[in-house]
Amino acid sequence: MTESYLSPLWISLQTVLTTTFITFFLGIAAARWMARYSGRYRNLIDGLFILPIVLPPTVVGFGLLVLFGKNGPLGALLSLFDTSIVFSWPATVIAAVIMSFPLMYMTSRGGFEQVDINIENAARTLGASEWKIFWTVTMPLAWPAIVSATILAFARSLGEFGATLMLAGNIPGKTTTIPVAIYFNIQSGNMDQAMVLVVIVLAISFASLAALAYWKGKARRTVPITPEAL
Amino acid sequence: MLEVNIKKAIGSFSLDVNFSVDREILSILGPSGSGKTMTLLCIAGLMRPDTGFISLNGRLLYDSQKNICLSAQQRNIGFVFQNYALFPHLTVKENIAYGIRNYSREMNNGRVQELLELMHIPDLGNRYPKEISSGQQQRVALARAIAPSPDALLLDEPFSALDTPQRERLEYELIGLQEMYKKDFLFVTHDLAQGYKLSTRLAVFDSGCVAQCGCKNSIVTEPTNRTVAKLTGIKNLMEGHIVSINGRDIRVLVPELEKPLKILNSNHNHLAVGQPVFIGIRPEYVQLVDQEGENTICCNTLQLVDGVTSIHGRFNATSDVEKKYNFELDLLRFLSTGTAEGCSCLLYFPPERLVIFNR
Repeated sequence: MTESYLSPLWISLQTVLTTTFITFFLGIAAARWMARYSGRYRNLIDGLFILPIVLPPTVVGFGLLVLFGKNGPLGALLSLFDTSIVFSWPATVIAAVIMSFPLMYMTSRGGFEQVDINIENAARTLGASEWKIFWTVTMPLAWPAIVSATILAFARSLGEFGATLMLAGNIPGKTTTIPVAIYFNIQSGNMDQAMVLVVIVLAISFASLAALAYWKGKARRTVPITPEAL
Repeated sequence: MLEVNIKKAIGSFSLDVNFSVDREILSILGPSGSGKTMTLLCIAGLMRPDTGFISLNGRLLYDSQKNICLSAQQRNIGFVFQNYALFPHLTVKENIAYGIRNYSREMNNGRVQELLELMHIPDLGNRYPKEISSGQQQRVALARAIAPSPDALLLDEPFSALDTPQRERLEYELIGLQEMYKKDFLFVTHDLAQGYKLSTRLAVFDSGCVAQCGCKNSIVTEPTNRTVAKLTGIKNLMEGHIVSINGRDIRVLVPELEKPLKILNSNHNHLAVGQPVFIGIRPEYVQLVDQEGENTICCNTLQLVDGVTSIHGRFNATSDVEKKYNFELDLLRFLSTGTAEGCSCLLYFPPERLVIFNR
């Protein structure tokens, strides 16, 4: 009983950690590119990137369902390899990545835009490669924003409900994450089980807020990271 | 030897410059928005010109015809920014060592210490940029820029945020550095006095073009156009035309003044009788006199402002009917007696101090 009782916690933890890992890299790559991109499609691309946060999650979920469904373009492609994403565990990750990406992207882009372009230019005239500049200058200077972005993305994917339910459904032990479990527990009158999960979510959320506050306090006192190694 | 001949258009602004720097400090002088910084960015490889070429010691850095455009990393050109642009998360030592390559850690440390001592900040190595003064930050920025032994050094108004004593000390340091390294230094400034002090040659920029380039003395005494004259401090400019040329003696009639002014100028091959010209004089060369004579103009005193060593005055010509000619003067204290605001007086323009150029 205890196993199925806590299974949403393990599913959520796996989903959230995988999601945060993927969103971290996707968000930083997109943010870094857009921070210095000034082409004609800038506003269009920017709008597409933040669209998931503007739309209702169920609408995003519906869109994903269409995309990954049997007749959807990505669904048809996957069915060639005999796989289907819909109503499987990877669907929880896909939904959470899409929903947490805008927060990661927006917050870290703000951090990159704060970096004085002259400082990067100075590094260029000193002969540093673009890759070295990114790791030794841009990232350390944007680091506070990136940490905030990561914690926000983590919290957002932990709370993801609408799009997850649409794409991954509610398959106990497989796709039932904590928010989905809370909802269906209450629907079926299991208030005690819902309460346990609520307390767990509260604990994780407060812990991440505390981590953010602690880190910010620490960052104010010391310098982010020293790229001695590079 | 740095040779630059580039064109670039951004929106309604177009840059079209051509000059060279030959193991000296060349100062680029010009008002803001005249393309000075843009030129430096193009030379450093941080901005791409539309056409033209840039070569450094015979090595092509950019050539639109041969389709060559080296990256900033490949050019080996040092850049000192107006806002220093130090890496705030690295110590002074780490900042200076950032561009040094291909050496062991011990050699790097030795080189960094050498540079710190050269810039007279030997003890600041372990501080962070925000923990040192702005003058010291600019010393670190200079040390960082010369650390990789660049073939040329570009300085974009590097001392404009410093107070006067710090700025003057750094100007001496910079002259010393150039004498030591014998590389091409390009110094952008909007301050004539600073450019004059640092360089033997000046290039004056005006709205994207080189208005005049040459020996600093000739720029100051023989400006060839209005912008250069204004920028080099010739505040009193008048429009007129030549009525006679007799050897060195040129007479110019300014319609608003009663009589022609006499100018003594040996360099007037390009001038002809009847030609419309500008004539001008620096405020410090105008004198206040008692007796009417050649080159004296009857004026009203509009305003007198007390300076440290001189009194700055504004006057307007009394015979001036249509156009109000205001003259600016710097009078030495002991010569400035005998006039007060609202009084009339006589101004004398020494003929050898008047400059003349085409309109």
